[in-house]
Amino acid sequence: MNTAKGIRLNDVLTSSWLLVPMRLYIGVVFLVACVHKIVNPAMFAVDVATYQILPLYLINLMAIVLPWIELAAASMLILGFRARAAAVLTSGMMLVFIVAISVALSKGLQMSCGCFASQGAAEDPISVATVFRDLGWLAISLWIVFFDRKSFGLDYLHARFVQRRHV
Amino acid sequence: MKGIARVIVEAGLVAVLASVVALVFNAVRPEGLSLVADRPYELFVPCPEPLGKVDELSAADAWRAMGRGKILLIDAGSETDFKGWHPEGAWNIPFDYILPVTDGDIRKIASSGASRVIVYGDGSEPDSGRELARELSGRGINNVSFVVGGAQALKAAREAR
Repeated sequence: MNTAKGIRLNDVLTSSWLLVPMRLYIGVVFLVACVHKIVNPAMFAVDVATYQILPLYLINLMAIVLPWIELAAASMLILGFRARAAAVLTSGMMLVFIVAISVALSKGLQMSCGCFASQGAAEDPISVATVFRDLGWLAISLWIVFFDRKSFGLDYLHARFVQRRHV
Repeated sequence: MKGIARVIVEAGLVAVLASVVALVFNAVRPEGLSLVADRPYELFVPCPEPLGKVDELSAADAWRAMGRGKILLIDAGSETDFKGWHPEGAWNIPFDYILPVTDGDIRKIASSGASRVIVYGDGSEPDSGRELARELSGRGINNVSFVVGGAQALKAAREAR
């Protein structure tokens, strides 16, 4: 698709000027989200249990493992190291969160999403807006998965280094 | 969109590595969780009760309405408050913010033959009378009203009559 100025849509979607800020944004979101979960795994386990989706034997395992996957994905996105793989992880997690919140909403549960802190339902209740927010983050993550072409970061610097050595 | 399969494999590897780190960290930290919870989590999630529409009624109007037709008056306050004072013929169904009204109470109200149900509570904010009235209405009881100001307003209005 061409615009009047001859800029192709593909150029816009693969532009480092857009992808790097988006990568940093999603990275910071996941970094902030994982901190309280790693510090207070017991509280996060209660948040997971509140959704009433997972069987009891999976709740603690999820509460232990998920925050570290968030941390790994966040670090990779921020550093620009295997950013597309990290975005696959954030996309997968966003998809899981969207399904979980939708199920909770359909059950009429009045609860906090537990995304950034273990708050009560009164302070941070889940709503359709939460689902739309997560859909936005999912869209950005998928954008990175499909259009990131070595935007600035460790992978970019490594590729430049290798190129110079060959020259 | 090149190399998507390779990217997914990389993502899988990162997830596995992160999981191993998570499990090791959890095992060595003093406040680590057991891998499987030994008992169900106690959750405090208010179960949504179906809430219906109710009419507001002033205490004076409530007294006037009691003289017309078959009215069922319900006290949403505690048993102690109910024993302390209640209009003649009133029923006591203490409102609980967590526990729903029992099916037995709903059946009793439905079979009372009353053409109108008037509920009064503590009159505070939120008013237990209003909450109980909304719950009864949501559970299928028709023509439910609540007294604004609750038992205190009802008592004051009677003394003023």
